[in-house]
Amino acid sequence: MSRQILLIVLLGVIFGVFTVSILELEELYNSFGKEYFLEYGAQQTGSNNLVTAILLDYRLFDSLFEAGILLIAVSGVIWISKHDIEEKNAKFMIDKYKTPDLFVTFSRLVYPLMLTFGFYVVINGHLSPGGGFQGGTIVATAILILYYIDADKETNIGLIVTVEKVVYLLVILVASLSIFTRGTFFTNFFELGASADQKAIYLVLLNVLIGIKVALGLWTIFTAFLKEGR
Amino acid sequence: MASYFTDLTLIDYTAYALQFLLIFIAIAIVLHKNNGTIIILIASFSLVTASLYVINNAPDVAIAEVAIGSAIIPLIYVISISRQREFIVLDKAMDDFIITDNQLTGIGYILLKRFSDFYHLELNITNDPLLCRLGEGKDQVLCEQTNVDLIVSKDPTTGEYILKGKASNILMNKLEQMTKDYNNIRVIKFKDRDFGE
Repeated sequence: MSRQILLIVLLGVIFGVFTVSILELEELYNSFGKEYFLEYGAQQTGSNNLVTAILLDYRLFDSLFEAGILLIAVSGVIWISKHDIEEKNAKFMIDKYKTPDLFVTFSRLVYPLMLTFGFYVVINGHLSPGGGFQGGTIVATAILILYYIDADKETNIGLIVTVEKVVYLLVILVASLSIFTRGTFFTNFFELGASADQKAIYLVLLNVLIGIKVALGLWTIFTAFLKEGR
Repeated sequence: MASYFTDLTLIDYTAYALQFLLIFIAIAIVLHKNNGTIIILIASFSLVTASLYVINNAPDVAIAEVAIGSAIIPLIYVISISRQREFIVLDKAMDDFIITDNQLTGIGYILLKRFSDFYHLELNITNDPLLCRLGEGKDQVLCEQTNVDLIVSKDPTTGEYILKGKASNILMNKLEQMTKDYNNIRVIKFKDRDFGE
């Protein structure tokens, strides 16, 4: 009973805070940030896509931890699905639910297109909607479709995870390079006055690294799911 | 307020319609019973959400939503559900409990068949020599580490058939109920151990 009363009081407090904050809606929803990014964003970061500008330049510190969260999630999935003794499953328990032939044929057609589109979204992250994370998930989906085409595909999870960790360290390294050129961490390593093309080198580099990291992370997650119960 | 509704453009009406559709899909996901349909509904939920993001000028989020919500998550669900659809029995006894006169007509087989049909599972009986050779003490490890759901063995002194499975498997309770009338069948449930124990 006391717990329910506590819950009701807590909900009341949250509701009170919410109403108080709603009263100052004008202050909360100002357009100061929006106007600043519109005016200086493309010029300061060299990115036409302002989302990428914020993600990889103004708020790079936050993005690093976002990438770290995926790494932690992958570690959690692997830890839960880890099997100590070597799996010795019975022989005739191969997949009874074979994928339909139509699905396999369409997968073969779609697979290269998906892969190309994924790389396009990664590399053009600073010009068009998309970026490392979005492109990485598309590439990961393409790899997942590969498992439907060939069910007996073998993957070395240990190698993938190691590569992912190394790529994550590379992301942090590239992000920290600006300490030598600009004197601050976590921003573009080219000078503020550099041309947009020079700044694009940094943006593409970081987008590609994040894309590889995300694709490998998701690949690990669904390989763990595929191996489970086999 | 009156002018608010007249000023709406077509895109606004579309957004409202999509939001109502979202509510209906969410209710359908909760109420539906068939797993396959639920997966399709979850995928369509993400698709509608993604189109709402596009209407609200957020194409970046929309791409991420489509890729994760309507491709990766449904595919992972499909994998997980197809794994759950098998009921794998390891036959260590190797006598007429399962196979009588070279045909699957033993008492145990009929019982297990009735049981797996009740839950719409695919019954899969194996006597893999590698797994059968493991000792009696390894049975719990076998249930935890491999995909075997049930182990059938014979007590050499009393001649009882022993069915062993994990206590966390809710199917075991039903199996215990069904075998109550047979006095030569005993069900043993393994308690779950914590990680690292």
